[in-house]
Amino acid sequence: MKTGIHGEILKIENLSFAYEKDEPVLQDINLHATDGESIGIIGANGIGKSTLMKLLVGLNTNYSGKLVVAGHEVTPKNLNHIREHVGYVFQDSDSQLFLSTVEDDIAFGPRNYGLSEEEVQKRVDDAISFLHIEHLRKKSTYKMSGGEKKLASIATILAMEPDIIIMDEPSIALDPRNRRNLINILNKIKSLKIITSHDLDFVMDTCERTILIDDGRIIADGATDVILKDEKLLTTHSLELPLSLSRM
Amino acid sequence: MNNLHPLGKLLTCVLYIFLVASIDKYDIIPLILMSVYLVFAFLIGELSLKEGLYRMRLILPLVLFVGIFNPFFDKDIVLYVGNIGISGGVMSMITLFIKGLYSVLSAYILIATTSIDDICYALRVVKVPKIIVIVIMLIYRYFDVMALEAHRIMTAYSLRAPSQKGIHYKAWGALVGQWLLRSMDRAEMVYESMLLRGFNGEFSFKKKALKLQDFIYPIAWACIFVIIKLRIIM
Ligand SMILES: Nc1ncnc2c1ncn2[C@@H]1O[C@H](COP(=O)(O)OP(=O)(O)O)[C@@H](O)[C@H]1O
Ligand SMILES: [Mg+2]
Repeated sequence: MKTGIHGEILKIENLSFAYEKDEPVLQDINLHATDGESIGIIGANGIGKSTLMKLLVGLNTNYSGKLVVAGHEVTPKNLNHIREHVGYVFQDSDSQLFLSTVEDDIAFGPRNYGLSEEEVQKRVDDAISFLHIEHLRKKSTYKMSGGEKKLASIATILAMEPDIIIMDEPSIALDPRNRRNLINILNKIKSLKIITSHDLDFVMDTCERTILIDDGRIIADGATDVILKDEKLLTTHSLELPLSLSRM
Repeated sequence: MNNLHPLGKLLTCVLYIFLVASIDKYDIIPLILMSVYLVFAFLIGELSLKEGLYRMRLILPLVLFVGIFNPFFDKDIVLYVGNIGISGGVMSMITLFIKGLYSVLSAYILIATTSIDDICYALRVVKVPKIIVIVIMLIYRYFDVMALEAHRIMTAYSLRAPSQKGIHYKAWGALVGQWLLRSMDRAEMVYESMLLRGFNGEFSFKKKALKLQDFIYPIAWACIFVIIKLRIIM
């Protein structure tokens, strides 16, 4: 659902988080984002990208620091508000889709928010036509390929018309054609997008801004074409230049 | 049949299983007559018996073998077919077997003609607690995923132990533990994904309007079942 907020829509200040005491996963993260931005969060495996995304939607609320999403501080009491405005596309589509047909799954979110049945149907139709997945409408969610599942997952989120869309490693396990298709789709979405990935070429094609995380801290935050061209920066943090650049 | 209200189908199925189970253990005639429901549903619903038995393959053995020791305990002759005496134990083994089969098949009829979402909706209509409905839904959804997960673990194991037939008994504990942990992780993630889309424990499915046939269907079957059960016409 749209907040109508323009300008700053995400504010993270001095955020730290640990699953186990004394083993901090995120430390002193500061990040501001505005409506309509596209942000890539990059970093090696296991450095806390997914953890950060889960904090944004309140799947964990025992962090320290300040976290304000869509105008609401992330606290257990505010979770309903926040989740109305933030869509989260899971890394693993099998965890995202659980109803019998794609159509029902897309309708699940809007129905939960008490929209009228006409409005629900309209949301479903819009999401389906936006993603060009008419052929999947009646399909059973567990009889689809990886690429189809990813698109269906995204549809379930788009139907909620969120202000912020979070995608955790969306390009993983997609073949080149599906990957290209997904890039085109993401570039059509106007909401604030936050995409975690260690597929730097994917970030290159979908995000204007990039944030590099290592050891639980933000190492760099800036324009994608600056950060992803900085070979020294990337290699010191266990990443490599995007293929599209290293070939040149 | 797919278009009937899920509640009617659910109630019919539950009543059927209940009545079949409560038929006396030596009373084979009403039990045979009870098959009319299964025959009807398989024909009208255009279901395949083979597919049904296949889908239910995991629980069939359990329900079929519950009565297997009865013949050893109950050796009194209760019936003669020609001049062969059939003991109470054999008889009750047969009826238990039939009851198990009927129950499984009627559950299959429900699942095959009604989506799980509709079944959950119907369960909520009759006020089954939310948490139970959610668990049923997750188990159903994760049946296939758990099977897949088990298959993956087995494959990973056998690729690294190619000379072994099957799985060494010492590895079973670890593998089963792995399997349960992974399956639980999965279930938790699905639940999180539901929460993130505004789920508050209530299924807001499309409300279904009740039509005349939605009442007639369960009531007609209830009458037939009771007539057979009480042996009113025999
Ligand atoms: N539920 C959890 N409980 C405990 N530790 C976890 C949990 N999830 C992730 N971690 C740990 O937190 C760190 C960051 O994980 P994650 O955020 O998944 O990294 P990334 O997404 O960047 O690969 C890892 O060391 C991981 O082992
Ligand atoms: Mg991750």
